[in-house]
Amino acid sequence: MTTTDIHALIGAYALDAVDDLERAAFERHLRDCSSCLTDVSELREAATRLADNTWSAPPPRMRADVMAAIGRTRQLPPADTGNLRTGREAPTVRWRARVAAYAAALVLAAGTGATVYAVQEQRVREQSITAAEARQREARTQAVLAAPDLRVHTAPMTGGGRVTVASSAAQGAAVVSVRADTVVGPDQALQLWTIRGTEKPVSAEVLAAGRQQAAYVVDGIPDHDVVAVSLEPAGGSAQPTNVLAKVVLA
Amino acid sequence: MTERGNARRPDHLSAVPDKSGPDQATDPGTLLKAVARGDETAFGRLYDLIAARVYGLIRRVLRDPAQAEEVAQEVLVEVWRTAARFDAARGSATAWIFTIAHRRAVDRVRAEQASTDRTLKVGAASIDTPYDEVADEVAGRLERQQVRRCLDGLTPLQQQAVTLAYYQGHSYREVADLLQTPLPTVKTRMRDGLIRLRDCLGVEVKA
Repeated sequence: MTTTDIHALIGAYALDAVDDLERAAFERHLRDCSSCLTDVSELREAATRLADNTWSAPPPRMRADVMAAIGRTRQLPPADTGNLRTGREAPTVRWRARVAAYAAALVLAAGTGATVYAVQEQRVREQSITAAEARQREARTQAVLAAPDLRVHTAPMTGGGRVTVASSAAQGAAVVSVRADTVVGPDQALQLWTIRGTEKPVSAEVLAAGRQQAAYVVDGIPDHDVVAVSLEPAGGSAQPTNVLAKVVLA
Repeated sequence: MTERGNARRPDHLSAVPDKSGPDQATDPGTLLKAVARGDETAFGRLYDLIAARVYGLIRRVLRDPAQAEEVAQEVLVEVWRTAARFDAARGSATAWIFTIAHRRAVDRVRAEQASTDRTLKVGAASIDTPYDEVADEVAGRLERQQVRRCLDGLTPLQQQAVTLAYYQGHSYREVADLLQTPLPTVKTRMRDGLIRLRDCLGVEVKA
């Protein structure tokens, strides 16, 4: 293949739509063409944004499996620069064998007594209840976010962070998402408030102590004028003391 | 104050100033740097930020949840293993991660095709289950809207070429067959489609 032919593959390469030989040829070409490298990085960046469309909740056990696996996986030193690495030369086969051994050890441990089994059973049941609740909350959130009349308002928080209110009059509710950069101590909590006109603020939600990030579906928000977030002692207060953010829903 | 999918982009590409240490960071680039130093807590936070998209992307390409889980695990461990190889000059941390994820998914599809012909399951559009982290969902929705809007801005052939390759893992030769279009045309459509996407999304990589 000529250089022109190779270069014509830039889009296909960025989409991983080339075979191994073409990929190797293209990467060789990149080594001699620094402007191509920027081009291909940008096209890749654009291509990977297509992944924004593909969120899907992984099975909950995956997190523990991955965390356990990284605990046993040695990291590589920084690369000798020069070519586009995406780390495909991995010893995953060995890793998978180790995971299998780990799983076998777990099964053996579980087999040592009925008590262990009962505890596990209980945990599985609790997990599925939480999962069901999560799904329900999820469905409600999705319904609000999918509403055609969705309006998004946002305000920065004192000390960093952001409050976003996505509200739908049709759904009669809003998804309020809070992310505070301010450290919330173990004896402190963030509290959400709704305010209508000149009335007193009404507490909508108290976050768990120490929690800096959360999102809730709050009913009735489209009728209110302001959503506020304040920093309170753990458990919340009757009235806001230290207001960190106000989102005006006008 | 109204934000409709236009104000999020800077977070996506540039590192947020690190005010509170890598363990508190919510920016994948900052977290990935900490991961490169062997910080498992940072990896946990990074996992929470990206796992649903990594798994979702792989599942979209592979269609099979069990296989998707296996490949997603491999990819996430690979992110841990090769974190020090991430080069911020070449693009964002998320692009780096999803490049690994997409290539692994595509490799798996090709490996399967080599042994047996992949059975194409219909109804792929309905498999996406919602992600559990609602806080990210708000932002995610805005981003998705932007991607959809930008995809809509492509010509039909550009759009088909790009989505058949990216979401279904087809090679450009397969795409040419599927669309009954000459190979050079498909290559051009893929390139031009991505260029248009790049410009619409405002993607920029500083050389």
